[in-house]
This record gives sequence, C-alpha cells and structure tokens, in this order.
Amino acid sequence: MFGLPGAGMQVRLDPLSVLFLVLLAPQMVAGALAGEARSPTYWLFALGMVLAVVAASAFTLIFGFELMSAASWLLVLKGDQKPATLYVGIAIFSAACLVPALFLPASSLAFVLIVLGAGAKAGLAPLHSWLPKAHPAPPAGVSALMSGGMIKVALSVIIREGFMTLSAAQQPWWGGVLIAAGVASVFIGALRAMLETEMKVLLACSTVEHAGLIAVGLGLALRAKAMGDANLTALGLEGALLCALAHALYKPLLFIGAGEVKHATGTASLDWLGGLMRSMPRLSGLMLLAASGMAALPLGPGFAPEFLILHAALAAAGTGGIVARIGFSALLAVLGLSAALALGAAVKLMGVGFLGRPRSLQAAAAEEPRGLALAGMALLGGLMVPLALVPAEILRLMAPVVRELAPNAGYAPLGYAPLPLLGLGLVVAVAAGFVLHRFGVRGTRAAPGWMCGFGQPPVWLPFGDPATQPTATGLAEPVARAIGRGVLPGGADPAELFVLAPLYRVHLKGVRLAEKLRRATIRERLAFIFSALVLFLLTLGLLGGG
Amino acid sequence: MSLTFSLAHLMGGVILLAAFSLLSQRRLAAMITLYQVQALVLSAAAFWQGYAQGEANLYLTGLITLIIKALILPLSLREIVLRFNLMRAVETAMPVAVSMVLGVALIGVAVLVVLPTTPGNISLTREDLAIALSVVLLGLLMMTTRRGALAQIIGFLSTENGLVLAAIGMPGMPFVAEFSVALLVLLAFLVVGVFLFRIREHFDSLDLSGLEQIERRGR
Repeated sequence: MFGLPGAGMQVRLDPLSVLFLVLLAPQMVAGALAGEARSPTYWLFALGMVLAVVAASAFTLIFGFELMSAASWLLVLKGDQKPATLYVGIAIFSAACLVPALFLPASSLAFVLIVLGAGAKAGLAPLHSWLPKAHPAPPAGVSALMSGGMIKVALSVIIREGFMTLSAAQQPWWGGVLIAAGVASVFIGALRAMLETEMKVLLACSTVEHAGLIAVGLGLALRAKAMGDANLTALGLEGALLCALAHALYKPLLFIGAGEVKHATGTASLDWLGGLMRSMPRLSGLMLLAASGMAALPLGPGFAPEFLILHAALAAAGTGGIVARIGFSALLAVLGLSAALALGAAVKLMGVGFLGRPRSLQAAAAEEPRGLALAGMALLGGLMVPLALVPAEILRLMAPVVRELAPNAGYAPLGYAPLPLLGLGLVVAVAAGFVLHRFGVRGTRAAPGWMCGFGQPPVWLPFGDPATQPTATGLAEPVARAIGRGVLPGGADPAELFVLAPLYRVHLKGVRLAEKLRRATIRERLAFIFSALVLFLLTLGLLGGG
Repeated sequence: MSLTFSLAHLMGGVILLAAFSLLSQRRLAAMITLYQVQALVLSAAAFWQGYAQGEANLYLTGLITLIIKALILPLSLREIVLRFNLMRAVETAMPVAVSMVLGVALIGVAVLVVLPTTPGNISLTREDLAIALSVVLLGLLMMTTRRGALAQIIGFLSTENGLVLAAIGMPGMPFVAEFSVALLVLLAFLVVGVFLFRIREHFDSLDLSGLEQIERRGR
C-alpha cells in the first residue's frame, strides 16, 4: 500500500493492538448497522483507526491517525459547520504535537508532546471543550464511533508511547501529569453531564468523564511502573484497559439509541421526551443496560473497572510522601463525587427521557426503531453481559496486554465477583418476598395518592399535565446551585474561558498582523526585506567576530 | 604596490562619499549629478584595477561603466525629468538626518561583517569589500526612504555600483558577471522607464503615494 518510499507501511499484531481491535470491531459493526454502512467516509474513518492501532512505525501511526482525523472531520461537517471548524483546529493542534513527538528521542519533552497531542484528541482537560460540541454533531453511528472508538485510539497512542516506546526515560511525574489531566476531565465531564439537557451532549460530556477515568488509571500505573511498584502497575493498567473496553461497548450503544430516539421523535432534548419505555420497550431496555454501565452500578458492565481504578487510587494513597498521600486522598474524593454525578446523569437520562409520561405528542407517538439499528445495539448489549457478570475472566484474558506494557507487573486479582453477589441478592429478595407474603398485613387502607412526581393537577386537566413533571433542568438544579454555578461560570466550560478564548484572541492578532503585511506598500515591503538583510548581516558580524 | 592600495582606497572612498551624499540630497538634479560622479569614479577605479592587476577585462568593464552609467543613464534620467516635468524636490519618508544616522550605522554593520569574516585575505580586498558592501546597503536604504519613483531608481543604480565595485576589487573575478550585471541594469532601466510612462499616463505624477492609496482602496 502507501508508505514511505523504501520503507512502506509497517503493521504488527501484538496483544495491545489485538485488544484495541477487539474493542473497535463491535462498535464499527453497530455504527454501520445504524445507517452508516453506505458512507465511504465512514469506512475511511474506520480504516484510519485500525491503521493507527496496528501501526508499527511512526509514519504508519501518523498516517492512520490523520486519516482518522480527516475522515471524522468530513463526517462532523455533514452535521454542522461550526463545531467542525473547532474540531479541525484541535486536530491540527494534535498533529502539530504528535508529529514531532514521535520522531524525538525518548525524553520527557516527547512524552509531554504526546500527552498534549493525543490528549487533545481524547478530550482530556483542559483541551476537552471541543468534544461536547463536535461529538453530537454528526449522525448517531458516527458519534458512536467517535466517542467509543476515536478517543480510545488516542489513548492507545498514549499507552503505546508512554509504556513502551518511551519507557527508557520514564519519570514518576509523567503519571502525575496524566492523573491531573484525567481527574480534571472526570470532574468537569461528570458535572456537565449532570447539567446538560440534550441527550447527545450529555453522552459526550460523559465520554469526557470516562476518558479522564481511563487516564487516571493509566497515570497511576505509569507512576507505579516508574517507581517499581509491580502490583499497583497491574491494578492501574487493568482498571484502565477494562474501563476502555466497557466504555467502548456502552457508549456507542447509548449514542445509537439517542440517535434512534431523535429519529423517532424529532428531538433529543430530554425536556421534550418522556414515557419512551412504553412506546420503545426494546430500545429502552438496552439503553437501561448501557446506562447502568455509564453510572458504574454494581452488576453493570461499568462497575468492575471503576472498582479497580478506585482500588488503585487507594493503594497509591498508601505510598509516597505526605504530599502524595494527601493528593491521592483528594483524588479519591473527587472520583467519588464524580461517580455520584455520573449516577445522577444516568438517572436523569433514563428517568426523564424514558420514564414518566410523554411531554410531547412526538414522544407519545414514538415507534420502535428499524431492526438493523436495534440489532447493532443488541450486539453491543449482548457483549456487555459477560463484562458485567464475569469481569475476572476477561481480566485474565487481558493479562498478556498488561505483561506487554509492564513486563514486571504482577497479576492483581479482582476483589469483586458479580455472580455470587447476584446469587446473594436473589436469595435475599426471595426470602424477603417470602416473609412479606407469609407475615405481611392483609387488608386495604386509604392513603393519599403518589402523584408520580407530578405537581397538583389543574382543574381543566384532571389526569395531570405532563408538562408539570420534573424536567431535566429541574432535576439538575440542586447540583447546579451547589457546585455547577461556581465551577461553570455562566454555564460556560472553564476551558472555553481560559483556553479557547485566549487562543482566539491570539489568532485574531495574528490575522490582523498578516493582513497588515499583505496590505503593505511597495516601499514598506522593501524596507521589510532590507531590515531582514541588515539583521542577518549584523548577526553574522557579531557571531563571526565573537 | 602601496600606490595601488591607496589609490584604490581613495576611489572607493569617493564612491562611498557619493553614495552618502545621495542619501542627504533633496534635489533630483543634484542626485543625478552625484550618481554621475559616482559612476565616473567607478570607471576610473575599474581602469586603475585593470592596470594594477594586468587584466584587460577590467578595462572593458571600465568602458562599459563609463559609457552606460556615467553618460547614457544620467543623460536619459535628466531627459525623463525634463519630459515629464517632474517635481524637482525629492519627497522623503523619514527626516534626512535620521536616514543619515542610519547610513552611518549601516557602514558600521558592513565593516563589522566584512572585517572579522575574512581574516585570511589581503587587506586591499577586505577593505574594498567593506566599502562596496556599505555602498550597496546605502543604496538599499535610499530605496526604502524615498517616495519618488525616480529617486528609488537612483538608489537602485547606486546599489548596483556597489556590486561592481566589489567585483573589480576581487582578483580573478570573471568578466561575465560584470557584463551581465551591466546588462541587468540596462534592462531594469528600460523596464522602469516603461513603468514610469504607465504611471504617468494614469496619475499625471510619478509620486508613488497615489499608487499606494489606490492599492489600499482596491483591497
């Protein structure tokens, strides 16, 4: 195929690339089934991701990565123009960081550039504010692959470079950088997911959170590896990789589901939905399963990875000096807060969007989606079941990857067994049912009706006005009052205020300068060239004399 | 031998002095005269170098310089001034005093560049080269600090004189280079002459500030 003259393209299949191929395949199939199968750009996008994952040379990696960026830009452009422009700016920035970094010798500079370049693509704070804008723009199948696949490819670049290529120069603070970026994205992503009312934007914010979570796991492992702590390395890596795997299943499912809801009702805004559980039962069931993963509920697919990452953070809090201990304890607190916020976001998604009564006629008249899209979602949902029930077996399958990344790492057993937990829960439930049935009080009693969260019905609508149900905005209001307004001034992401806005001003200044140069008169241009010549001569004279 | 040195230096100095006074002149006629003096001295320097180095080529260079630069060009420049009835005063973009200070600084730069970078060569060539570079830089400075088209052309021609001065000072410089440089100047002169006609047709003036205004408005 293509490639550098004489060198060609080099690919390899080692455990890490196999893991990421396994992680990409189901969502590519599901995305294609969701209506993208005939789009050549979609397959180009998929090809770029595969190339970037299996690349064995820097050129192949960059080729695949940029193919992925360019194709996804075209796909975002199909949806909306403004986020596409922001997106292409970020893509150029990440290329500008990655290209030199891949050809630098192993050093801290190379690692920082890699984290900047791939981190911007993965939506790590503070370069994440493009993601909630660009990911919801394209059609659902593409959003699914961008959210579930593209950020994983970017993270795989960080993994491959940080753990393998640059391991000769590794420093403990590299892990610290990843942890700091990760925890910031976890917090801001979870908070924004809690506050958003648009389904796809909510999911994109949650993607920022999970990318951050994976980065925290990777950072813990990288720091432990540099400090020679074999157990902690394994724990952090297992958590991060399992989280990537789980997120690659439930997030595409949620995105495709949101797309189908939008297709059926004409809107993805939670404030106009409701009651979908009744009109789209199969889709809603799959969404519920995936949302349990997004919220990291026990017995769901998202619990085991978060459990491992929290364990790793706990273990790290017991090592190092006083500053590290305090820092890791604070990390635990932030992770806990964010887990609660993520749970709130999932509850809002399901409770407002799928339960209750329809808030609009379109939501009331929604129909089950086409069979193909549902089949893709069912594929992802089916793959989630083993992840939810036997995570320990999957971790054992992933052991070669961990050994490849950290040869001296031990195997950290998972202290969480869902099957016995499930059995125990069943026993308790059966016993409780029996007790209730046997010893419960018989007879009836009059009590005021539970209004299902409705307000007092107005006299002209005796069965209640669906518009009086709690909305997504209302549900988020307590969180918004408690922390949202402080962290997100005016509802805007702090990254937009402190990163994008200054960049925009610099850009404006540059454009003005360029325009001034372009408008220069003949004499000014002559003077410009002349002063450049004099400067050159002066440098030559001073350096040559010295 | 010492007479060779001192005479060559003297002529180089006179050329530099002419370039410097070009910078300070406000009147077009005086500028053309100064340019003529510069070209005359340059041709004399070429003859002297030809005699000193025993190179017949340099006599030819001197002849070309004498005929084209010291006679034809100043005459036709005067003709242009008369034909177009140009403003005889030259408009400057910055005060003359400032441009002269800059000129002195440029001579300093030239000396700073040439003297340390060529330590192995004989002193004649080195100092000649410094003078020639100064003349080139002063001509460029004049092109940037004058608004009138004709004054800029004179600055360009003075720059070219500096190049030829450097070329004749170098023993073993091939004749072709000088010939082509002279031709280039002639061509440039022709092109610029045509250009001047066009500007004149459109704006009734050779002042380039009108052109700059059009440029600003057009974009």
